[in-house]
Amino acid sequence: MPMPPPDIKILVVDDMSTMRRIIRTILNQLGYTNIEEAENGKQALAKLKNEKFDFVITDWNMPEMDGLTLVKTIRSDPELKHLPVLMVTAEAKKENVLEALKAGVNNYIVKPFTPEILKEKMEKIFK
Amino acid sequence: MKELESIIKELIQNVKELENVIENVKKPVAESSQLIPETAKNIEDVMIFLEETSHKIMNLLEKIQANSDQIQKDVDFLLSLNPVPKVREKIEDIKIRNEDTLNTLLELYTHMSFHDLAGQQLKLVINVLDKIKQTLLDIIVSHVTAGKDLKEEEITTIKGKVSELISQDRISQEDVDKLLEEFGL
Repeated sequence: MPMPPPDIKILVVDDMSTMRRIIRTILNQLGYTNIEEAENGKQALAKLKNEKFDFVITDWNMPEMDGLTLVKTIRSDPELKHLPVLMVTAEAKKENVLEALKAGVNNYIVKPFTPEILKEKMEKIFK
Repeated sequence: MKELESIIKELIQNVKELENVIENVKKPVAESSQLIPETAKNIEDVMIFLEETSHKIMNLLEKIQANSDQIQKDVDFLLSLNPVPKVREKIEDIKIRNEDTLNTLLELYTHMSFHDLAGQQLKLVINVLDKIKQTLLDIIVSHVTAGKDLKEEEITTIKGKVSELISQDRISQEDVDKLLEEFGL
């Protein structure tokens, strides 16, 4: 399956600076360098309103605005509703996955994850 | 008359015993409410230490990766010069080992997410501590205000002030006592 083009602009949303750095490094390894970061859903929304992004990778548990609320807000916004969103979280219960899918995420990764898993999920989202 | 005197004495005795019970409860509750913010602060310090150390480790990993990336380029350049078979064999061996190092580095990055996972568990512990702190302070406020002729508004104000103190994370028995003094308690 083909991967999305390397020049896509990606927004990584996570309150943990180490996790943002890990995701950025893995994306770099996969050939993606146009990456921006946000510490929570609120900050992410502000960025999404001002700049055009092609893909969002978000955590679930964050202060100010969590990932689930971010996804719901994106899906209810006419200008953002088609934006692909991947949720990367430690929430590994079945009901969590269902809740995220219901909210509108395009795919779901449980932490910790390997670069292969991220690649596979991105291929599925952008097929 | 004597019977009434005896009943009153018994009542006074009961009240004294009850007061002793309240005093006995009040002290450990107050001490616990002071210990909880300290414990939460210790956990937050651990989280900060973990984050700082994780970044230091990742800085080192990035340094190794930069070196490996350069080795990969140099090796490719040397191979492009068509070296003699024995030298080529050695260079190709270096290339394979370097690729293995790069893969291992990527795996190490993946394992660095331990910080995020540990941090989330510690945040849950801090949340539980906050709930316990809230409950203990409710106990303090309610048993001190119990039996006092306070208006609903006054009790709400006391609770609001206690919440304010908790959210500022500077609550101590001293703060609670000052607050109660304001209300003549």
